[in-house]
Amino acid sequence: MLKTGFSLNRVGAVTWRVLKQISRDRRTFGMMIAMPAIIMLIFGFALGGEVKNVPIVVDNQDAGYTTASGPSTNTTLLFGGNITSALQNDDRVKVTQCSFDSGRYGVDNGTYYAAVLIPTNFSETLFKHGLGNAASQLASVKVVVNSTVGGGRLISMPLNLSQALAGIGIIDNATVALYLDGTKPVNEASVLAALQGALQSAVGGGGVALDKQFAFGNLEYSGLDVSIPSVIAFVLTFLVLLISLIIITRESTSGVLARLYTTPLSALERLLGYSIALLLLGIVMVCVILGIGIGVFGVAVQGNLALLFFGAVLYALAHIFLAVFLSNFAKNELQAVQMAPLIALPSMALSGMLIPINAFPDWVQTISKFVPMYYGNRVFEGIMLKGYDIGNLAPEFAIIGGIALLFFMLAVMTVKDKIPA
Amino acid sequence: MQESVIEATNLVKVYKEGQIKAVNGLNLKIEKGEIYALIGANGSGKTSTINMVTGSLYPTSGTIKVLGLPIPEKRRVAAVQIGVAPQEYALYSDLSVEQNIWFFARLYNMKRPDFEKRLDELLPILKLGERRKTAVCNLSGGMKRRVSIACALVHKPKIVFFDEATVGIDPVLRAFFWEYFRSLAKDGLTIVLTSHVMDEAERADRIGLMRAGKLIEEGTPVEIKSKYKAASIEDVFVKLSEGVVVDA
Repeated sequence: MLKTGFSLNRVGAVTWRVLKQISRDRRTFGMMIAMPAIIMLIFGFALGGEVKNVPIVVDNQDAGYTTASGPSTNTTLLFGGNITSALQNDDRVKVTQCSFDSGRYGVDNGTYYAAVLIPTNFSETLFKHGLGNAASQLASVKVVVNSTVGGGRLISMPLNLSQALAGIGIIDNATVALYLDGTKPVNEASVLAALQGALQSAVGGGGVALDKQFAFGNLEYSGLDVSIPSVIAFVLTFLVLLISLIIITRESTSGVLARLYTTPLSALERLLGYSIALLLLGIVMVCVILGIGIGVFGVAVQGNLALLFFGAVLYALAHIFLAVFLSNFAKNELQAVQMAPLIALPSMALSGMLIPINAFPDWVQTISKFVPMYYGNRVFEGIMLKGYDIGNLAPEFAIIGGIALLFFMLAVMTVKDKIPA
Repeated sequence: MQESVIEATNLVKVYKEGQIKAVNGLNLKIEKGEIYALIGANGSGKTSTINMVTGSLYPTSGTIKVLGLPIPEKRRVAAVQIGVAPQEYALYSDLSVEQNIWFFARLYNMKRPDFEKRLDELLPILKLGERRKTAVCNLSGGMKRRVSIACALVHKPKIVFFDEATVGIDPVLRAFFWEYFRSLAKDGLTIVLTSHVMDEAERADRIGLMRAGKLIEEGTPVEIKSKYKAASIEDVFVKLSEGVVVDA
């Protein structure tokens, strides 16, 4: 009696063949290793928000203000100088001191990104305001920010302290406790952030203090920390799809697939063989991606590293099955290559990677719930930044697992098992 | 009476795209140990016939039995006992000669020691002994063809299909191949081959001449030539075609 039932040996043969082929195909193998590194580096820095050495101009015209601090002693206040020094010590900006007009010209022609003017009466106004002598008079700093090439925008920053520092909730001589989610930092330009810091430092202690406490272990995250989880999800989505589609489609275009139809290898055995091989390759890619994220970028992982690895592998598996499913519709390698960005780019936009989901209209938010990357982001962000465990992320894990199962079933249902006619 | 290993009755294949009738009411009976050559011009329906008999292409109508098994219904069962060397090389170009043959051997659940023994038999016959570890992408067309034949023969099938398999092989090696095919047939292997090279078919036991999806003549080379008083099978084909070009 001939044996033609399900054979693990045949599944293993397909897995072995795919892995052997990849190990001999330097182009694809190189892409597997190099592309995660390149994409991670580009996206990591681009989304990290860690912009440094932004060239700006500061025109400090502040004449200072001398006030009697005792019966026989005078104190000269130089708030403008303090701001300038603070900016010079801030590595987010690179300060050049020259006239405000030159600075504006520099902003217009792209030499500088901002120009700052501290007026002559700055210290005097600030001091008098502090005493309540100039309730209606505001000290101001003029800033020209280069928002587009050749087109500066004039912002006047009022220095009524309560207004100037309103963004962080400071009121004169009062301490405001602020509790915020450090994983969603305000999207501020580095110039404005540096200037705000400088303005705060200019008033010294001044009775002003900001007591910030962050959720999730009171850890303050950098822009890079908060962007890496979604970068990992994107890179896994894009690369796993791309490489899986290339590997599977290559077989059908070389004529081997038609030959396989004449052998005892069943469609299910073939799909399982691909999936196991691609899963092993996916694990390699997960190691590369997490290795770069943690080793190169030094991103924080508050949760369990093993859970993060498991989440990444499960997420990769869902996309492997998606690729196996999609490969049934790709007639050649070119079509397969086109499919990867067609899936990955809308996923990037809809998953909250670039803009938080709650900023979208309701109907777009509903669509987002159907995007696997949305759940990938939640898992990676939850484990890495919030220290969530499997209990916190059970729904997300279940949904990703469900997506993987759904795509595998769709792949089995649509797989070609004979020459199309 | 000889045992029929392949039987096709009223076989029809119409491709959806362009409504082309590639095979049109074909009847075929091939016996065990026969070398049967299906010949005809390009586009005459040879490959479609082979694909249907091997179960990789489903017929529009008609019945097929291979080793007594209905095809395509029992194609996986029949597949264990057939080998196919398709018209394309259909090999993994990044893998070596040995790795390609081993992959196909594993699909037939061959064990490694059996495979090693079989490889030691096949590689010298197919003049591939020195190319065992060479990647297929670095081989000539003729060598790739031989690797493809090795993949079809590795599991010692009962029927082997060679679709234009001897194309691109030099005449000396082709003569050697025919000698080898003959020895395999003596051992009971049934060989079905297609070719558009008419003189090659004269070495077969029986010939089926195909034109426009139909079998227009069938018999031994001697029978066919004497029936049409022709010096060669090519002359017979020209006479039967009445000078009409089937496939430009």
